Amino acid sequence: MTVERAATATAAEPDDAFRARLREFFTAHHPGRAPKDARERLAWAKAWLATLFDSGYAGPSWPREFGGMELPFAHQVIYHEEAARARVPGPLGTGLNIAAPTIIKYGTQQQKQRWLAPMLRGDTVWAQGYSEPDAGSDLPSLRTTARRDREEYVVTGQKVWTSHASDADIFFALVRTGTRESRQQGITYLVIDAHAPGVEVRPLRDLTGGHLFAEVFFDGVRVPVSDRIGEENGGWQLARTSLGHERSAGALNQAAMYRRVLTELEELARERGQLADPLVRDRFVDLEIRVRIIRYNAERTIGGILARGEAGATSSISRLLITAFEQDIHEFAVDLLGPAGLLGKSAPQSVQRSRWLQGFLRTRASTIGAGTREIQLNTVAEQVLGLPHDPGMPPR
Amino acid sequence: MSVGYSAEHDQLRRVVREFLSQKSPSRQVRRLMEAGESRDDEVWALLTGQLGLSGIAVPEEYGGSGYGPVELGIVLEEMGRALLVAPYFGTVALAGQALAASGDTEAMRRWLPGIADGSLTAALAVAEDSGSWDLTDVTAAAEPVAEPTGGWAVTGTKLFVVDGDTADLLLVVARAPDGPGVFAVEGAAAGVDRARLDTLDLTRALASVTLQGAPATRVGADRDATEWLAEVTNLVLAALAAEQIGGAARCLDLAVEYAKVRQQFGRPIGSFQAIKHKCANLLLEVESGRSAVYHASAAVAGHQPDAALAAALAYAYCSQAFTHAAKECIQIHGGIGYTWEHDAHLYLRRAKSSELLFGPPARQRTRLAELAGI
Repeated sequence: MTVERAATATAAEPDDAFRARLREFFTAHHPGRAPKDARERLAWAKAWLATLFDSGYAGPSWPREFGGMELPFAHQVIYHEEAARARVPGPLGTGLNIAAPTIIKYGTQQQKQRWLAPMLRGDTVWAQGYSEPDAGSDLPSLRTTARRDREEYVVTGQKVWTSHASDADIFFALVRTGTRESRQQGITYLVIDAHAPGVEVRPLRDLTGGHLFAEVFFDGVRVPVSDRIGEENGGWQLARTSLGHERSAGALNQAAMYRRVLTELEELARERGQLADPLVRDRFVDLEIRVRIIRYNAERTIGGILARGEAGATSSISRLLITAFEQDIHEFAVDLLGPAGLLGKSAPQSVQRSRWLQGFLRTRASTIGAGTREIQLNTVAEQVLGLPHDPGMPPR
Repeated sequence: MSVGYSAEHDQLRRVVREFLSQKSPSRQVRRLMEAGESRDDEVWALLTGQLGLSGIAVPEEYGGSGYGPVELGIVLEEMGRALLVAPYFGTVALAGQALAASGDTEAMRRWLPGIADGSLTAALAVAEDSGSWDLTDVTAAAEPVAEPTGGWAVTGTKLFVVDGDTADLLLVVARAPDGPGVFAVEGAAAGVDRARLDTLDLTRALASVTLQGAPATRVGADRDATEWLAEVTNLVLAALAAEQIGGAARCLDLAVEYAKVRQQFGRPIGSFQAIKHKCANLLLEVESGRSAVYHASAAVAGHQPDAALAAALAYAYCSQAFTHAAKECIQIHGGIGYTWEHDAHLYLRRAKSSELLFGPPARQRTRLAELAGI
């Protein structure tokens, strides 16, 4: 595989030159609009990821050794800005953001060689197998077992809320290798072939009526021991690995995206002649304050990382602010529309193809997935403010 | 983006915090409060002399250190934390910034060096009965005085004048025949009658100032007062927001410290989720308010196009955040938080007063809507 490393050739490239080069690349290679058909859309997204990878424009925070760009943080921010501006497709599945940092930090050389480049190129789609029916917020109580049989683990159990499971080639999963009571101390990180015998994916219909996630059943699935990351019973500590501050690099784009959404809602209210109503205006003021504060927080987080290598307290609160904002703006939009807000996509009278109603439903998940709001507030209280852990709960 | 990250800013914050923790601890605040005094002379001398804090936003050519709203914001954040009892906000943030923004070299040469070295205290008198800071609501009037005396004579009643009862110099907004203007009146001049008002905030004096033909000098006559005072409004709102978020942060600290040590049901109350969530939610607001303040002070300092909006936003947000933090601080402390001896109520008083100082919150939000083009 010969890969042009055009994008990473000049480490000390000035910001403006880097930005211009990215912009040119995204414009020249833009894949166009997403196809409606799910199968075609998957192929379309994979083709784009391959183009990025083959041209050396994939994985802004990843090491070059595995096909990434290994950009300094300031250039990662620019990368995300330009990607958002060009509206190019994002990553497929959850592997790039969640599994890859773990593999990069804790995988063996052989594992890195085998998994990273195909994941980055979109050749393999990775999905996460953490939550279980009885292990949601209390993830350390998970019960999917992996029994050691010589050079293999035999995995049996059920995962749930697995996003992108139907497209997945590989699951990265937390499984129990210790006793039932071993909690964090008995959890192992396994990489499981989604096409192996004994794996069954059952799409779950969510409250929007769509099928974003699925249940995944493992029935005696055999996984080579060489597909374990880290030590046996040492998986818990690996599950939340991140690469430096890569997650903060895109914070400004998210802020810009919500800015756009709010402006669009204001335009809608203006068209409908509702902006003169002082109660409506006051709701808009509230959202205006919040959307700007989301940006100021992102600027502070990124500024802190650039200036002193620390993300600071703003990074731990930004998700809480954003998730509440996205719920509130969609509900406000639906309220604003009145009965017209209740119309679905296929109703000819629907407003903006029912985007606000869909958002109202979709964002119910915002304060549940990746940790409920309640659990996140506990985490902030304990880890940022130093408040004591609840003695009635198992230790962290 | 540059705010709060330089080593110089860290250093400034550390120095001011250290100074205030030694020189303005709670018992000192309470002593001045109970005595109804506006400051401790020795602390004021150190603050303005040794530390040079009163000159922080005064240009170097007038004896200051030539910094601006960003550094002033850092100082005020710390003063808000400590509830410092001193005529700093009125003199430096209100009158000092107004003078420095006037472009009136004569006036700046005359008064700014005194503000910078701490020998002169000053107040900015805008609001009247209505409490409004809108120039259109000003009824005080200024008339030119015939030669040979010359100058102006100001008549009217100002209310809610921060540190107005003790200030050496009053900058009074009044209507002149050619439109609104700013008039400098000596606090001790004939025709000036002033009194401290009985108001909620016990650590910051608000005064009524009645002027009856008080002799005055016009300031910034060459500038359109509406435009100049609009700029002053941005400076002042950003400054007050900084002070507010310092107070809010202190309320959160007090609540968290208490929740860690107060035992009920055999465990610290801070281990209960209900208390944790209150504290975590306050942290969201405090950090968000900080972000808003840092953005606003940088925008105002740099005369950015969004300066007015950023300052109004910071003030609106920090007003709510501070009042909320002060109320939750009392709630988390329970009975002890309701006592006179506990400082929680001093913060609640400051918070609610600051929230209403520039007019009703609904009015602030209406203004924000206009600035945001909603």
